[in-house]
Amino acid sequence: MVTKVMKIILSPVLALIVGVFFLGLARKIMARIHWRYGPPLIQPIIDMIRLFYQKSVSHGCIFDLGIILSLAGSIVVVLILPFGQICPLAGSGGLLVILYIMLLAPLGMALSGGQGANPNISIGISRKLILALGYEVPLLLVLLSVMTHYKTISIVEMVNIQQSTGWSIISWPLFLSGLSYFLILPAILGLRPFDMTSAPQEISSGPMVEYGGKYLALAAIEHAFVLFISIALFVNLFLGGGANLITFFIKMLVVFVLGLCINAVFPRFRIEQAIKYLWKWPTLLAFVGLIITIAIRS
Amino acid sequence: MSLELLLIIAFGGALLTYLLGKISHRARDSFAVFISLVLVVMVAYFYGKTVEKAFYFGFFGLPLVLRLNMLSWFFAIAISSLGALCTIFSLSYMKGRERTDLYYLMILVVNAAMLGIVLAGDLVSFYIFWEIMSWSTFLLISYNKGPALAAAMKYIIMSIVGSLAMLIGMLSLYTRYGTLNISEISGIIASASSGYILFILIIFSIAFGIKNAVMPLHTWLPDSYAEAPSPFTAVLSGMLTRMGVYGFLLLMYVIVGLRNVITPRLLSYHYILAWLGAVTIVIPTFIAMLQNDAKKLLAWHGIGQGGYMILGIAFGTSLGVAGGIFHTLNHAIYIVLLFMSVGAVQYRTGGERDLNSLGGLIKKMPVAFTGALLGISGLIGMPLTNGFVSKWLIYKTLILEGSPFLAFAALIGTWGTILSVYKFVHNMFLGQLPEKYKDIQKSPLSMQLPMIVLSFAILLFGILPGIPLKVINAIGTSFGFEPLNVSLWGIASEAGMLNTINIFAAVLVTAALVWLVFRSTAESVPVAQEDSYAAGAYVPKDKYHYTVEFYNPLYKMIKPFLRDVIDEFYYGVAASVQKVCNHVRRMYMGDVGYYVTYIILFLAALIFVQLKWKPW
Repeated sequence: MVTKVMKIILSPVLALIVGVFFLGLARKIMARIHWRYGPPLIQPIIDMIRLFYQKSVSHGCIFDLGIILSLAGSIVVVLILPFGQICPLAGSGGLLVILYIMLLAPLGMALSGGQGANPNISIGISRKLILALGYEVPLLLVLLSVMTHYKTISIVEMVNIQQSTGWSIISWPLFLSGLSYFLILPAILGLRPFDMTSAPQEISSGPMVEYGGKYLALAAIEHAFVLFISIALFVNLFLGGGANLITFFIKMLVVFVLGLCINAVFPRFRIEQAIKYLWKWPTLLAFVGLIITIAIRS
Repeated sequence: MSLELLLIIAFGGALLTYLLGKISHRARDSFAVFISLVLVVMVAYFYGKTVEKAFYFGFFGLPLVLRLNMLSWFFAIAISSLGALCTIFSLSYMKGRERTDLYYLMILVVNAAMLGIVLAGDLVSFYIFWEIMSWSTFLLISYNKGPALAAAMKYIIMSIVGSLAMLIGMLSLYTRYGTLNISEISGIIASASSGYILFILIIFSIAFGIKNAVMPLHTWLPDSYAEAPSPFTAVLSGMLTRMGVYGFLLLMYVIVGLRNVITPRLLSYHYILAWLGAVTIVIPTFIAMLQNDAKKLLAWHGIGQGGYMILGIAFGTSLGVAGGIFHTLNHAIYIVLLFMSVGAVQYRTGGERDLNSLGGLIKKMPVAFTGALLGISGLIGMPLTNGFVSKWLIYKTLILEGSPFLAFAALIGTWGTILSVYKFVHNMFLGQLPEKYKDIQKSPLSMQLPMIVLSFAILLFGILPGIPLKVINAIGTSFGFEPLNVSLWGIASEAGMLNTINIFAAVLVTAALVWLVFRSTAESVPVAQEDSYAAGAYVPKDKYHYTVEFYNPLYKMIKPFLRDVIDEFYYGVAASVQKVCNHVRRMYMGDVGYYVTYIILFLAALIFVQLKWKPW
């Protein structure tokens, strides 16, 4: 009981530390690719602490509740998602539940922004939701191939099977699906070619434009969690999870840096270009992957 | 207490309400609410009972049978409680309109007829109640006149096609077996050839498919939902359309029976029906995204969600059927709530339902907003709302039984839903409040009350799904499925379980913690929108907010693929029939000479035929 409570408290904290570390690392790596020196690694933490002490502007009750709900949703996903051997609530519904609770984050943000009544916010949200529809098509196909292949909806079981039979990205029925997930990862994270949602030069950071002070800090924390969740899901589903925390985090780090280096050199897509890309190559790969999975199963 | 008393009170109460309306409107309103509440109590009393009773009226020598079991009780309680809530909601919505006596008569008759349908134990009484329901629905849809008349006409023509199909099926069954009692037929039909069973399945599916708006028989629904008065749209979308689902359940698992319907062949009836369900999920959900009319948007979702029920029921596993039945109830709850929310907004804004001209109503109508928010959460299937559990059941069985493409259709439907319902809430309640709605009042109590009850129900069935699942489990067992392992807060089974109470606790605690952090850090100042957007500079009083063509880049891409081809096809058929009839009409010149010529020509043709082929 005590260990379970400890795990419940520990896992969001660990996820937050890793996520914030990734945020700092991302800025540093980006800077080096651009031939700049870049801010120190702990800059995001400094920013957050500063923001929590600053006064801010509120536009009403849903404006506040939306962002609280969004962050709470992400923390709950971390509790259900197994990493290393820590999985406090993993038995509460598996991948399908994670898929749905992951919705709370963007939806909470969208509701909060909606009450901001700023045209830039609405444009940003509209783009975000279209982009989400764009990457959900390949993502759902990928997740369905994984669930069909392992005949379970529980991530813990998938990890256990992979621990004994090897990573699923190397096993050839799921290779294409894994590749497809890797291709859409930047879209899920809103990284460079897919950052039209919050394009600062175009729509003044979109959904963030009315946020200040603690709202921005909470949004940054939320971003850190989303970063953690999307990569951890990839590691769990395709890279065999982790026997312990260290291997798990190393795998995450490799995936993240790899994705960052590839995507740092692209210019920003328009939203139509993003949808066309997402519904072309990743979807095709995921589709073929799913057909192979079914063929092998039957 | 007996079953016939229930129906007598239901129909008699409707008639009395009408007569009372001639004396006093106030007495009529309270009597209508009283009658609908009495029906809820009476139906609730029948919980867990099994009754079958035959009456002989000398109707073609056929007995009229009433029967009650878990399946009919489940539908009856949903019909009567949602009916009561919609009647309460009508009180202020219909106040001061014309022909309200007729409105109350019809809405109570519709409820009574639906109760009759689910309590009918033979196909004749089933058919009679079915027709009463169709015709009173026609009168209610056309209540607003104007475009409503065309919508109602479309509805009744399609309904008649369905009823005729059902009639053919009934006649065939009667000539073959000499009885129309449902339990007797289900005993005999197993011995019939598989070809005959398929014929019965298909002919009844036309009737039920039209009522439940399964693609390609869906075209009556969007117009009818949009044009009917909002409280009745709630009844129509909640339970009336779902009489089709009841029909499918009755047909597949009661009359024909589990063993004859669910066959492992790939091209079997149930498999094709499941695919039709999947198509019905995907296409309408994407069409809904393009709508600018709040009620039409919900109407297209009504079609799409009907697809989930058909998919679950037709897939034919114990999880799938349970999910399909549960989704029927859940959908009824949240869609009624959503239509009520739209109705409340319409009531206060003078009938406005154009999503492009509303906005910012959250501060003026908080209860309607909460209802809309919980309603869309249920529609999406957010965890902790009722829609999630039923969808989870359906997804899970589709994935585990190895039908990932059906599962993909069901899942992608959810993501399409998010886009359109966010637009729905955003354009109505969030964003900028138009100048003309500055002094709007909040909705009256008789509208708030049903909305609060339904919002509560959404959360209750989402957090403790075991309450309805216990009844649904009993229904599934009576069909011959293996019982599910249901507890109050979830479903446990060999591969993956669902524990809603854990999720609920986790969300509650983390939200409370985040809220504490939020409260304990530097405060935020409430500021009017204009101040921060223009930094204190002058903002024009017109609309500056972005709501029109909300997903424009996506519209441009998908619009060419989303024409309602089927509707156009039906209109084409209707137009050509009209053309042919027009030509036939021209024969009647009004001149006796022509008629004599027709007679002589006809006789000549007869004689020619007789001389040539000697058929007589």
